[in-house]
Amino acid sequence: MSFLRRHPPAPPPAAVKFSDDRGRFFRLVARGAALELQTIGFYRFWLTTDIRRHLWANTEVDGDAAEYTGLGKELLLGFLFALAILIPVYIAYFLVGVEAARLKAFASFPLLAFFYLLGQFAIYRARRYRLTRTVWRGVRFWMDGSGWSYAARSALWSCLVLFTLGFALPWREAALERYKMRHCHYGDLQGRFEGRGWDLFKRGWWIWLAAVGLLVLLGLRKYFTPAPLIVFAAAPFLYAVFKAVEWRWWISGLRFGAVRFESRLRQGALVDLYWKVIGWSLLATAAFAVYLMLCTSLIVGTSKWALAKLLITGHLQDSLPILILAGLGYLAFILSLSAVRRIYLQRDLWDRVAASTVVHNLARARNVSAMGDIADAVGEGLADNFDVVAGF
Amino acid sequence: MERTAIYFDGRSNRRRQVTLAFKDDLEISEPSEPPVRWPYADIRRTDSPAAVLRLTSLTAPPLARLEIRDAATAAQFASRCPQLDEKLPGQRGVGLIIGWSLAAAASIVVVILFGLPLAADRLAPIVPRALERRIGEAAEVQIKTIFGDKTCEAAAGQRAFDKLLLSLREAAGLDTSVDSEVLYTPIPNALALPGGKVILFSGLLAKAENPDEIAGVLAHEFGHLKHRDSMRNLIHNSGTSFLVGLLFGDVTGAGALIFASRTLVTSSYSRDVEQSADTFAMDVMKKLGRSPKPMGELLFRVTGKQADGELNILASHALTEDRLKRMSEADRPPTGPPLLMPAEWTALQAICGTKS
Repeated sequence: MSFLRRHPPAPPPAAVKFSDDRGRFFRLVARGAALELQTIGFYRFWLTTDIRRHLWANTEVDGDAAEYTGLGKELLLGFLFALAILIPVYIAYFLVGVEAARLKAFASFPLLAFFYLLGQFAIYRARRYRLTRTVWRGVRFWMDGSGWSYAARSALWSCLVLFTLGFALPWREAALERYKMRHCHYGDLQGRFEGRGWDLFKRGWWIWLAAVGLLVLLGLRKYFTPAPLIVFAAAPFLYAVFKAVEWRWWISGLRFGAVRFESRLRQGALVDLYWKVIGWSLLATAAFAVYLMLCTSLIVGTSKWALAKLLITGHLQDSLPILILAGLGYLAFILSLSAVRRIYLQRDLWDRVAASTVVHNLARARNVSAMGDIADAVGEGLADNFDVVAGF
Repeated sequence: MERTAIYFDGRSNRRRQVTLAFKDDLEISEPSEPPVRWPYADIRRTDSPAAVLRLTSLTAPPLARLEIRDAATAAQFASRCPQLDEKLPGQRGVGLIIGWSLAAAASIVVVILFGLPLAADRLAPIVPRALERRIGEAAEVQIKTIFGDKTCEAAAGQRAFDKLLLSLREAAGLDTSVDSEVLYTPIPNALALPGGKVILFSGLLAKAENPDEIAGVLAHEFGHLKHRDSMRNLIHNSGTSFLVGLLFGDVTGAGALIFASRTLVTSSYSRDVEQSADTFAMDVMKKLGRSPKPMGELLFRVTGKQADGELNILASHALTEDRLKRMSEADRPPTGPPLLMPAEWTALQAICGTKS
């Protein structure tokens, strides 16, 4: 009989696996873009939902896939509610702005800060919506906390980041993530964030330095002509490496109760994705330029107006066909750009990040009780209105 | 017939190995627990990876899930559950979404093209004067921050200016709530501020060759005040921004599209507004027995020929050459007395101290 207490060997971490049919995702995005074109963009609520459903449903943790239970209808309603909230906000902004500007010119500019706060509020509430629509093993995630409190923290930290020329960014991210994760729950399991600003700084300081170096180089373009070229070639590398470092740090800091996430994403893991986006975007731009030329010559060829006449008549109606064709072409162009982004920066990025991730101590979350309610999508609607990237 | 599956009861995340019995209802049993029954008619498919059939029941807790991983069992459900695929989002209703979107887009476009000009016409007159004046004061503070705060009021020049304003006001049917001042800046322009103030930049005085030129420009600005065009533009522009934003929302990259369509709509509106201010100015000049042609000549001197310049559907004013043409067509010999005597005109031009 041994008196030594033997610790059982730590169980191997659970894998996160993303296995989908990439062709299916491609078709989903292509069809979505076509429908967005036909609906002048209104289909975006359903497309966003379908993309999330695809990503969630094909992501398995410890052999069980997640599920996204949100609906396009909810996003549409959130958007409309956000609009309804924004109308009086815009009017109030205008009136307060007039009063401020009477006292001092451009005194209304600081009021724009209010919209920054509203944007941060939207980011928080959008995450809350997404989280409450995320289900794994029959139990949903949920979130409490205050979007306004988050917005205030975010604003203060942003001031600090501006003041330190970006140096404080890692600590800002860590602090905001701590607030968000503290209010995240999976059933009765509370989340928290253990990533430290210092760790992110250690991994990413050279990126910050290189970015500053590139800005300096750009400033010296008078003396060194190829400077902009070097900057534009180097920037995507830096950004991709920064994103990889950030993802790895973020995932490795996530906790739910005793459950610990870890990512081993390589620094260079995302570089090719960003270059693919740039390459395809350039191609789409070229195609759009050719389309515009074709349209113009077609209209000039078939109409009784000469090109010069068309441009100087000064009446909208006269050149309406060109405008409509150009507008539709542009819509198709930006929709193809967003399709490219969705394929590489949503699906492929998700794939690589998931493949790099493992979950420790998942056995400690084998009997989590369901808790928490679903949240509305007004935050998503506000984010949609402001065009802020709600991220995660 | 018994088969196995994985069951989550929606109350905890415990992964339960269960056996399924296909009786009148589906019976889900776990050792040492009472069986759970799901009526076949209530069973629905939910999102899952391709290899898994994931089911839920309308009458079970909303997040209860049953996962079947073998094809034979999955086939059982396909044959027994008539409404298995009902309500799976994204399968149906796409036509409906397209229809409603097009209807929404069409109604937004109709509101922008017809509703907003109408709203601007009807709402502008009921904006309280006090609010309009406050907006004008705010604008004035900004203008004086940009162009400097040097108002020109040399005594002789001011007397001439007042005389000019008096005749114009009378002919335009405006009271003394409408006022004007000369601001010292080399930029040749004139502005009508909401609430009743016209700011004449001394740069325009310097370019002018006779009183009728300046009178025409002032009459044009008075036209804006008479029609309350600032308020109409404000209502029309903010309405357009809002509706165009609503139309394209955050389709990524639509910023340019929003900007372009907004500019198109607002500049088309602005050209209409400018044209009616020109008409007003021509009427005023006619009443004063003076020709409107000098105003056109002054504008042409300031802007030069414009036809080869920017894209004209985006311009906020009609082309200067077209405006000049219109005013030249209304040209006729003066029937009324000169608006200013030569000495007064010289004084007006020197209102900023030197002949600016």
